[in-house]
Amino acid sequence: MTTAFAQTETPIVKLVGVDKDYHLGSVIVPALRDVSLSIAAGEFTVIAGPSGSGKTTLLNLIGCVDVATRGDVVIDGADTRQLKEKALTDLRLRSLGFIFQSFNLVGVLDAFDNVEFPLLLQGKLNKVERRDRVMGLLQQVGIEQYAHHRPGELSGGQRQRVAIARALVTQPRIVLADEPTANLDSKTGTAILELMQELNRRGTTFLFSTHDPRVVSRAGRVIRLVDGQIADLNASAEDVAALAAGAH
Amino acid sequence: MILIRIALRNLRSHWFKGLIVGGLLSLGSALLVVGLSLLGTIDKSMSKSVVGSVSGNLQVYAKDAKDKLSLFAGMTEGTEFGHIDDFPKVRKTLEAVAGVRAVVPMGTDVAMVYGGNVLDVKLEELRAAEKAKDAAKSKIVRAHVRRMVGLLATDLDRISELRTADNQSDETKKAIADVKRAGSDGFWKEFDADPFAALEFLENKVAPLGLNADMIWFRYIGTDLDRFRAHFELFEVVDGTVVPKGQRGFLFNKLTYEETVKHRTARRFDKMRDRLAEGFSIEGDEDLKQWKKLNKDQIREITYQLDDRTEPLVHTFLLNHLKQTKGTTDALLAQFMEVTDDNFASRYKAFYDGIAPHLMLYSIKVGDVMTIKGFTSSGYPTSVNVKVYGTFRFKSLDKSMMAGGMNLMDLMTYRDLYGYLTADRKEELARLQANTGVKPPERDKAEAELFADAGDEVEEIKPSGEAIAAPSAATDLAGAATQTGGFDEFAKVDMKASAKTYGEDLFSRVYAQGDIDGGVVRNAAVLFQPGVDDRAVQAAVAKAAEGAKLGVQVMDWREASGMVGQFLFVIYAVLAGSLFIIFFTAMVIINNSTVLATMERTREIGALRAIGAQRSYVRKMFLVEAAVSAVLFGALGSALGALVVAWLNGHGIAAFNDVFVFLFAGPRLHPTLSPAYVVIALVVVTVVTVLSTLYPAWLATRVTPLQAMQDAE
Ligand SMILES: Nc1ncnc2c1ncn2[C@@H]1O[C@H](COP(=O)(O)OP(=O)(O)O)[C@@H](O)[C@H]1O
Ligand SMILES: [Mg+2]
Repeated sequence: MTTAFAQTETPIVKLVGVDKDYHLGSVIVPALRDVSLSIAAGEFTVIAGPSGSGKTTLLNLIGCVDVATRGDVVIDGADTRQLKEKALTDLRLRSLGFIFQSFNLVGVLDAFDNVEFPLLLQGKLNKVERRDRVMGLLQQVGIEQYAHHRPGELSGGQRQRVAIARALVTQPRIVLADEPTANLDSKTGTAILELMQELNRRGTTFLFSTHDPRVVSRAGRVIRLVDGQIADLNASAEDVAALAAGAH
Repeated sequence: MILIRIALRNLRSHWFKGLIVGGLLSLGSALLVVGLSLLGTIDKSMSKSVVGSVSGNLQVYAKDAKDKLSLFAGMTEGTEFGHIDDFPKVRKTLEAVAGVRAVVPMGTDVAMVYGGNVLDVKLEELRAAEKAKDAAKSKIVRAHVRRMVGLLATDLDRISELRTADNQSDETKKAIADVKRAGSDGFWKEFDADPFAALEFLENKVAPLGLNADMIWFRYIGTDLDRFRAHFELFEVVDGTVVPKGQRGFLFNKLTYEETVKHRTARRFDKMRDRLAEGFSIEGDEDLKQWKKLNKDQIREITYQLDDRTEPLVHTFLLNHLKQTKGTTDALLAQFMEVTDDNFASRYKAFYDGIAPHLMLYSIKVGDVMTIKGFTSSGYPTSVNVKVYGTFRFKSLDKSMMAGGMNLMDLMTYRDLYGYLTADRKEELARLQANTGVKPPERDKAEAELFADAGDEVEEIKPSGEAIAAPSAATDLAGAATQTGGFDEFAKVDMKASAKTYGEDLFSRVYAQGDIDGGVVRNAAVLFQPGVDDRAVQAAVAKAAEGAKLGVQVMDWREASGMVGQFLFVIYAVLAGSLFIIFFTAMVIINNSTVLATMERTREIGALRAIGAQRSYVRKMFLVEAAVSAVLFGALGSALGALVVAWLNGHGIAAFNDVFVFLFAGPRLHPTLSPAYVVIALVVVTVVTVLSTLYPAWLATRVTPLQAMQDAE
């Protein structure tokens, strides 16, 4: 499978020689080692690797919710090391979309409100525009009939759809998802993946992590991570599947 | 908007926490609304009480006063409030200020009058009877006096038995000898021969030993009675009349009159009736028991007043009432005083029907002239005679000793009592001088010395009231004049003689406004026109006083009422205390539960941070939530409070005692609500809630987006 769009000149994500160490007391746990990669608009990239290989850590750095110990992380043209907490938050609001493994919706708000929330934070659209945007997205993810249900009244798959809609509502440069199917049964997981593929075809750039070979098989591009290091920057899904099959 | 929605929904989903916190906040704001309404209403009613009875809206007094003016100052507090020397100027200047209705001169102090020495009264009657050569009357009164002397001798014997002979002072021995002599047959034989010499002996040697001479202490305002009456709205005459315009005179406060001048047994009967009406029972109440016991023990208070004519009447009445055939009056009275819850009503009625008519129910009656003893500005005793024209009350405050303890006296008499040389006094001195040829000190000098520290010379020249122990009960104007005197040791003038004509003159004399205003006053009440802005007028008065260099300071009625103002403060403190407890508890609970909520919502907060919410936004989220619950529960509590106030307004709160009657300006307080109280309650509740959310809100801002990324456990 190829990417839907041609790569633009400047990548949305660009990592150069990134290390990330965790400190456990006096022990230093190296989570990432010399990671360099770049992701262009329109890609549907999966970071694959076994548990503990550093996928979450890598996504956190790209998602600007954590900072690298060494190396450069450039997101949407901004060198994150230069940015203060406030500017990083702004960058997340402006350029990134997050889909959380456990959805992390605001429990007391209904689906519509949850999806609308980032727009309110941005404060760029008026009420009617927001309504149209939100309803459009809810329709795209197929839960417009649940717009006024609270997360507690929705199934896991429906919640994840709300989370996807929320991640997309600001039309971010890239949507990040850390194992988005981990808390879903395989049937629902597949449906969600199909939805993301569909959305990717319509132009959204996705980057997510997984250690599930069935997920990997649907990726446009696979970055393989082993022990905190890039093992393969563009493994074919078949390679990964084979590796995974071999491993099992 | 969205934050308010989140806040409301969070409240709904955490209903249990909401119940507790909301309950406290509602309680707090309800208490605030009710408390503020009470305080506000009490403030208003108190202002009505104080302003309308004694202080006026403002009080002015000397700038250089040693003590702070306090109208209700206790006898122990300093009362050196200085003097306003040029009252006419003060009055003219301040009455010209817009919004000022009147300036009324005053002097407040404590004085004393002897009341209830029946022996004195009877001796007066005897003297009058002898003078009038009324043999029949004289016989009856003589018998009564003899009987009293006999009782007095018994009492003195009893006292002397308690002491050994060594212990007895010469004075005591002499007193006993005098009374014994007065009780002897020989003495009364001599009486026929020279009644006036015998009377002199009885008056000077025996009467002062009379045991039941009450010292009645009372507080008074010496004032321009005409203007006082015109401008203090609560003033109202109960018995007698007002003092005629421009004249000297005294008005008892009805409450003081009932509480201190009335016959003690009758007074106790009245108190017992009131207490029983409140639902107490005699056996179950210490006061009632005590009054009953005193009435039984103090039968002498009644028998002392009975004479050969009235004693049989009372005896017969008691036999009938108690359905007895025999028994002494003493024994029957003792039996009569054995009251129970059941028979009290009939005994009370019987007392007033069959016994009281034969008693001197009030030791000072309306129309009497009484001798008031006080202290001059420099602290030595003076006395002055004044006619009692009647009793008055302050409307709706009749049950309150605070206002009920204030009696009224004309300014001239006040100045005499307080030791100012008034025109009258100067005249009197001149007269004395002419009569005796003793050269008095120069008037100016005398006055100056009086104002500084009365020298011996001045003190001696002053008509001394020391010799007067005589009460004035049952005396008419002429009789009173007789008492005016006393005996001035220095001048060697029998003041009784000189004052006789002078006294009558004095009591009917009409003073011009200029005379009344013209002397020294201690302080003055400034009364406002209705509906003016009190603060503005007060400022204007202060400015005018400053501008005209009046040498006075201005204080509002709250300050002037001194300790009364402190009652309000106590209520404030109680309210503040309970509010503090409630709100402090609320703060602790809000803080704790919100900290918990922050931890519970870590993932949600982290997610919001990840998708681009700034820290300030998270803080705002918590604070809005606090504000929303504050406004919600504050409004609920205020509504509850308003309901309570409305209910209280309808039913009224009964005053527990006379202090509260005064604070409430009547027997019941009807609190009213003001929208300002609701606003205050809402603001306070909001501030409290927001304050107690600051820490949890700060905690929430510390949640990192990373915390949303971790796998759900
Ligand atoms: N907060 C942390 N503190 C210390 N070590 C961590 C922390 N998070 C991850 N690690 C370690 O870093 C390595 C990479 O973890 P992670 O990025 O979560 O891998 P993955 O998402 O692929 O399972 C692991 O060895 C893990 O134990
Ligand atoms: Mg992971």
